[in-house]
Amino acid sequence: MVRDIENIQHSFSTENDGNISKKQTFLTYGEQDKFAYYLLKLVASLVIILLLGMIAMLLNSSLSAIEEFGIGFALNDNWNPVEDEFGALAFLFGTLVTSALAILIAAPLSISVAVFINEILPTKLGKLISLFVEMIAAIPSIVFGLWGIFFLGPFVKDVLTPFLKSNFGFLPLFQGASFGIGILTASIILAIMITPTITSICREVLKTVPKIQKEAALALGATRFEMIKIALIKPSFSGLTGGVVLGLGRALGETMAVAMVIGNSPTITASLFSPAATMASVIANEYAEADSDLHLSAMCYIGLLLFLVTFIVNSFARAIVWKKQRKARG
Amino acid sequence: MSSDIILQVNNLNVWYEDFHAVKGITVGYPEKSISAIIGPSGCGKSTFLRCLNRIYEEVPGAKATGEIILEGKNILDKSVDPVELRRRIGMVFQKPNPFPAMSILDNVTIGLRLQGIKDKSYLMNIAEQCLRKAALWDEVKDKLHKLGTSLSGGQQQRLCIARALAVNPPVLLMDEPTSALDPIASAKIEDLMSELKKEFTVIVVTHNMQQAARIADYTSFFVLGDLIEHGLSSDIFTNPKQQKTEDYITGRFG
Amino acid sequence: MTYLHWRKFKNIAFHASLYLAAIIVLLPLFLIVSYVFKMGASSLNLDFFLAFPKPVGEVGGGMRHAITGTLYLVAIASIISIPTGLLCGIYLSEFGKGKVANLLKFSIDMLTGVPSIIIGIFAYILIVVPLKGFSAMAGGVALSIIILPIVCRSTEEILKLIPQHIREAGLALGLPRWRVILNIVVKGNLSSLITGVMLAISRAAGETAPLLFTSFGNMYLSYRIDEPMASLPVQIYNYAISPFDDWRRQAWAGAFVLITIVLGINLLSRLLVKIGGLRHLIRRGIK
Repeated sequence: MVRDIENIQHSFSTENDGNISKKQTFLTYGEQDKFAYYLLKLVASLVIILLLGMIAMLLNSSLSAIEEFGIGFALNDNWNPVEDEFGALAFLFGTLVTSALAILIAAPLSISVAVFINEILPTKLGKLISLFVEMIAAIPSIVFGLWGIFFLGPFVKDVLTPFLKSNFGFLPLFQGASFGIGILTASIILAIMITPTITSICREVLKTVPKIQKEAALALGATRFEMIKIALIKPSFSGLTGGVVLGLGRALGETMAVAMVIGNSPTITASLFSPAATMASVIANEYAEADSDLHLSAMCYIGLLLFLVTFIVNSFARAIVWKKQRKARG
Repeated sequence: MSSDIILQVNNLNVWYEDFHAVKGITVGYPEKSISAIIGPSGCGKSTFLRCLNRIYEEVPGAKATGEIILEGKNILDKSVDPVELRRRIGMVFQKPNPFPAMSILDNVTIGLRLQGIKDKSYLMNIAEQCLRKAALWDEVKDKLHKLGTSLSGGQQQRLCIARALAVNPPVLLMDEPTSALDPIASAKIEDLMSELKKEFTVIVVTHNMQQAARIADYTSFFVLGDLIEHGLSSDIFTNPKQQKTEDYITGRFG
Repeated sequence: MTYLHWRKFKNIAFHASLYLAAIIVLLPLFLIVSYVFKMGASSLNLDFFLAFPKPVGEVGGGMRHAITGTLYLVAIASIISIPTGLLCGIYLSEFGKGKVANLLKFSIDMLTGVPSIIIGIFAYILIVVPLKGFSAMAGGVALSIIILPIVCRSTEEILKLIPQHIREAGLALGLPRWRVILNIVVKGNLSSLITGVMLAISRAAGETAPLLFTSFGNMYLSYRIDEPMASLPVQIYNYAISPFDDWRRQAWAGAFVLITIVLGINLLSRLLVKIGGLRHLIRRGIK
């Protein structure tokens, strides 16, 4: 056995011929690496070009509507495909109102849950709860919509609306009849859907607060509440804002669940019970059936506006969170 | 101990961007010996070592000039393939770093397998040989298919040595190979190095002077990128020629 | 009440409100899942998987065509996006410097935030307009654009966790860089990478909006890439907003199947990373 091994070692040594120059094979190692690098770079460039191309094509498809309606498109609330008259104000209104309401509901809840998981619960239980929260994000939008039509809608109509009317009926927000579908139902669904996004970003942000700061607050005799207020929420305020804004970005573009429960009527009213339509929902509803070119182009224009709005909101959020985390790393 | 020089460094300079990390170093390493490089942290000793197999190129902005002669060729020359070079000059790192999700056996043989050697029994034999040389065989022979990362720190480091040996490089570079290990595991690695010099030329960077004194035949002393003194360890540690060296080894500076 | 009492009271009230918030946030999850399971389980039968839709007004039939369609569309999306996403992620983690890398990072960030309905418009302009009709190809492309950033980002983040000295150890063995990347960096983290890919697939399987005007939908089994193709989410949508009770019943059955598939893949992939993570933990404990 020992001799066997020695023989092999011998043959093996001679195989390693000791020539460290570049070998004249098909490709030297350096060339192989260069090839791999350029292959990756090529794929990356193709993805970039594709994306830029798509944006250009979206712009191109919106051109006839842009030429026809100009900037005034966003300020005109008349949407009448039969007459080929198009304005996006009602959809802008629907999108902004539902998203804002969703944020109002979701932001305090999400931040609370993030604090709860990170600071109060024992690690294992916290992981379980955060798994549940993440599961919400995994539920397909269409399932939210289905549930919204058959469960949440009737609940809003039969339980929530009478309650709000009897207590806050003097406000214009809570007047008029409710059919279960409308702004309020859509906002609640949106709030549920964006909670996981905000929670997970806020958890990341809260994690960057150094343990010493928290312990220092406790050592001063602060209660847990005071510690969380002073040493946790305050220093991470901008990061938490970033998380909320990122949630807003998601809410703005959410399509199916909203389209199924909002009623799809391009109207602007003060009542949260009345139906409305969002930028995304009108595209979902009318795009496949649009028969005039201007109609299609108008929807591309809406898509372009939605794209710009979400892009700005997301960039803003990322800038805040990114800056925050960089600072935390020192 | 033979005195044939296997690796000759002439006037080596290294820059990281504008920072002059290694300044005009000339030194030769005799075959089948252990040479230690000591010096205070930030003295360029790791950078110097990383030039010898051109792994310094991994740091963006790093640049080296001068000559490092291996087998009659300047390895800094463009015609030298760093991949081929590294098959002749192996390296062991500061932290034990077995490859993730790879068995002990695969860790040892990967260098050869990726060179295209497929003969299983041949690979198995090489693995046994290298694990024996790394004084690890008896501890792992019954669990060769367990993950390399499941071993203890000291065992992981010996696995990394076996992995480097499998490619059969005549020169082995070690960058503070025991700094992440406890004293017992370190002692094992030191014993192992003394065994290795029967077949290999070992160049080791260490921050531990006692270690250098115990195992190295030759020692170089670096300060701020300059080579202050190089010679037989026995001379350096008992009768240093330079004041700085004496100050350092007696603990007055560094 | 002393000031200290007041502080303690506030502390207790704060804790109570956190518990309440957690309950409010998790309540919808249990409501939705239990409602879908209740409605779905009672609506589900073997016909749902094996039969095709019956003409309007007739009771019975199933969604075999839509289940097949969803698998088909997800397969197209995977074929396009998984290799592309992996390569882009590897590019960013291994060569993540320079103009192209920064532009790619920016593009991927932007794609992540683009509403899925707009990706539908992209695919419409890109495929439906030139081919002059709805097609499975267009639906697959739309889904592929949705999962590309997910695959790319998870790949980049996973590979970035590998310490640099592991790569150097590979290079120091005399291996070309592409070998180090492929056989050591990528192969060593395969389980995490697969998890990222599976999460992306589960996301694609549940998407509806980008399919509405790309793959559109039909009522029969089709394997043609250049014709409209049914999918589970779109079929659920069409049935859910229909006035027929039996179609609504089937919508629930569809939702039940869809949520089982999507949550199933999601949980399974997390389990996979947990096994991988366990290994990692052991490794760390020893170091």
